[in-house]
Amino acid sequence: MIKLENINKTYFGAQPLHVLKGINLDVTEGELVSIMGASGSGKSTLLNILGILDNYDEGDYYLAGKLVKNLSENQAAEFRNKLIGFIFQSFNLIPFKTALENVALPLFYQGVNRKKRNTMAMEYLERFGLKDWAEHYPNELSGGQKQRVSIARALVTSPKIILADEPTGALDSKTSAEVMQILREVNATGITMVIVTHERGIANLTRKIVHLKDGIIESIEENDPDKMDFTKEIK
Amino acid sequence: MFNKDFWSEIFMALRRNKLRTILTGFAISWGIFMLIVLLSAGNGLKNGVTGNFADRIKNTYTIWSSSTELPYKGHKAGRFIVLNNKDIQFLESLYEVEEVSPVLSKGGTLIFGEKSRSVSLEGVKPIYKNIQGIKIVEGRFINENDMKNKLKVVVIDKTTNEELLRTTGEPSMIGKIVYINNLGFKVVGVSKGMAFGEMGQCYAPYSTLQAIYNVNEYYQLTFTTKGLNTKEDNETFKTELKRKIAAIHDFSPDDNRGVWIDSEMINSLETLRIFNTINIFIWVIGIAMLISGVVGVSNIMRITVKERTNEIGIRKALGAKPRSILLSIVMESLVITTIFGYIGMISGVGVMEIVNMIMESSGAGTNAEMEMSVFVNPTVDINIVLMATLVLIVSGVAAGFAPAWNSVKVKPIEAMNYR
Ligand SMILES: Nc1ncnc2c1ncn2[C@@H]1O[C@H](COP(=O)(O)OP(=O)(O)O)[C@@H](O)[C@H]1O
Ligand SMILES: [Mg+2]
Repeated sequence: MIKLENINKTYFGAQPLHVLKGINLDVTEGELVSIMGASGSGKSTLLNILGILDNYDEGDYYLAGKLVKNLSENQAAEFRNKLIGFIFQSFNLIPFKTALENVALPLFYQGVNRKKRNTMAMEYLERFGLKDWAEHYPNELSGGQKQRVSIARALVTSPKIILADEPTGALDSKTSAEVMQILREVNATGITMVIVTHERGIANLTRKIVHLKDGIIESIEENDPDKMDFTKEIK
Repeated sequence: MFNKDFWSEIFMALRRNKLRTILTGFAISWGIFMLIVLLSAGNGLKNGVTGNFADRIKNTYTIWSSSTELPYKGHKAGRFIVLNNKDIQFLESLYEVEEVSPVLSKGGTLIFGEKSRSVSLEGVKPIYKNIQGIKIVEGRFINENDMKNKLKVVVIDKTTNEELLRTTGEPSMIGKIVYINNLGFKVVGVSKGMAFGEMGQCYAPYSTLQAIYNVNEYYQLTFTTKGLNTKEDNETFKTELKRKIAAIHDFSPDDNRGVWIDSEMINSLETLRIFNTINIFIWVIGIAMLISGVVGVSNIMRITVKERTNEIGIRKALGAKPRSILLSIVMESLVITTIFGYIGMISGVGVMEIVNMIMESSGAGTNAEMEMSVFVNPTVDINIVLMATLVLIVSGVAAGFAPAWNSVKVKPIEAMNYR
């Protein structure tokens, strides 16, 4: 599903910062992978490249068998819309749209008509127990509810892969556990999932833990989340 | 692309930023409104002032008697120059002169029944009507037949007419015989009149009065010209004419006075030039207002797009294509400019129509006594209005385009992380 070959990325600010220094990684279809590392190790940068939200300087990135390099903005939009669902630490919901409208938005960019859009969005909200909150605006929702809305939004287009950047970073431990449980269930339906986290407890709930340090992959650890008791404290 | 969803997104954005929308819109409306009001006022002034000359033929000259300023060949300064039949013959001999219309003026008393009134009786040719822009309110003016047969007919002024009707109870003066200096004249017409004060003004055929009074003294000679089309032509002709008249009457060609020569053509060219200048001035102001409106829209669009950077980043992450973002921002500014431009246009035209209506019904803007108008029909050509609105719409697109293009170029992650 994902193949990275010698990915390099430098931020050219006041001082050039070489953030990714040759990343090689394979993620096969249906995998549940976490990327772990200290703050500033380049986890978000890597995930943004995976999501085609940012470009890279060197190397090759294959997504679903296609080389993602020098894409036009139109092609990139197409990829993001059809293949990828995003979940962010800060939710990134549009504040003046209701939960339902937020979830329906990716379908708008697929040209799905309003009625079908709203029906589908409602199905996903229901699936995550948010039926009664459909007409509420993000600022009327709790953190956990907001993150469930954004998960619904990520899933509504039936993407092949979900990219989550610190999805529990803004949540308390109980809500974090609930969100992780949802993500694991989503993964169980066959959707590939890459989760960025700096918390061991979150990484422990994934099957493969990629340790990132100073812009290189230090090690890749196989893990069996089922031996963990995720109802216990995970932080 | 331009389906219901598209438009509802745009109107939602406009509603969400009510204050911004209204402020921008006001700038636009105001610009268009002022442009229309200014252009209309300029037109009104132009129509008013040029309307006073509109009925006159433009290629006319008038020579007035006057006194000399310089001594010349033994003559002292201050000699009064009286025009005579020799001058008429001379003028008629000139190629550029089409027709000479002498004015034979006689003071006198008009008597009809019991009523008598002081009048100035003027012997004129039929063409005098067009030269002076005389308006006939009843009957007709002197015609060629009157001239040829030296008929004793007269055109009286409106005030005299009204007075005679009032004191005698007649329904109309047309066809009645009035006595002027004890000679009977048949009234053939009533002119709107250039009557000043208590003195009536009557016109009779020049040939008739010449036969009666055998006049060889004129204080005013009017003639029409041909082939003098530019200001230069007229200036040259005027200078040459002055020189020749000076020779005939033996006064210095360098004398500023002696006779006055007045060219209607030069005057009206001058008036037109003034109004063209006013018009250019109005356009410059109007366009400056439009530009300030457009700059306003563009600034506000830039701020809006900045405010929406995060939202645009999110939309991109969800798969919005550049075209969709570009279009929605451009359309937003287009909708603002179009709607508010239209409001400005309608209110501008509306206000000026109301002003026009009030002025027409109350007679404001025209001076009734002088029969002069200064402000008439202050409206503007609808094509100009549409053009201005079109310019505004095009600039609305331009105003939205720059910030929209910037927002499209920025990377999605940068947009999302923008603070
Ligand atoms: N747009 C940017 N411009 C310059 N430097 C950046 C930018 N984004 C991130 N960085 C820097 O790159 C490094 C890696 O950042 P990031 O990938 O966000 O780390 P992580 O998500 O692991 O905390 C950090 O030192 C960060 O300051
Ligand atoms: Mg990060």
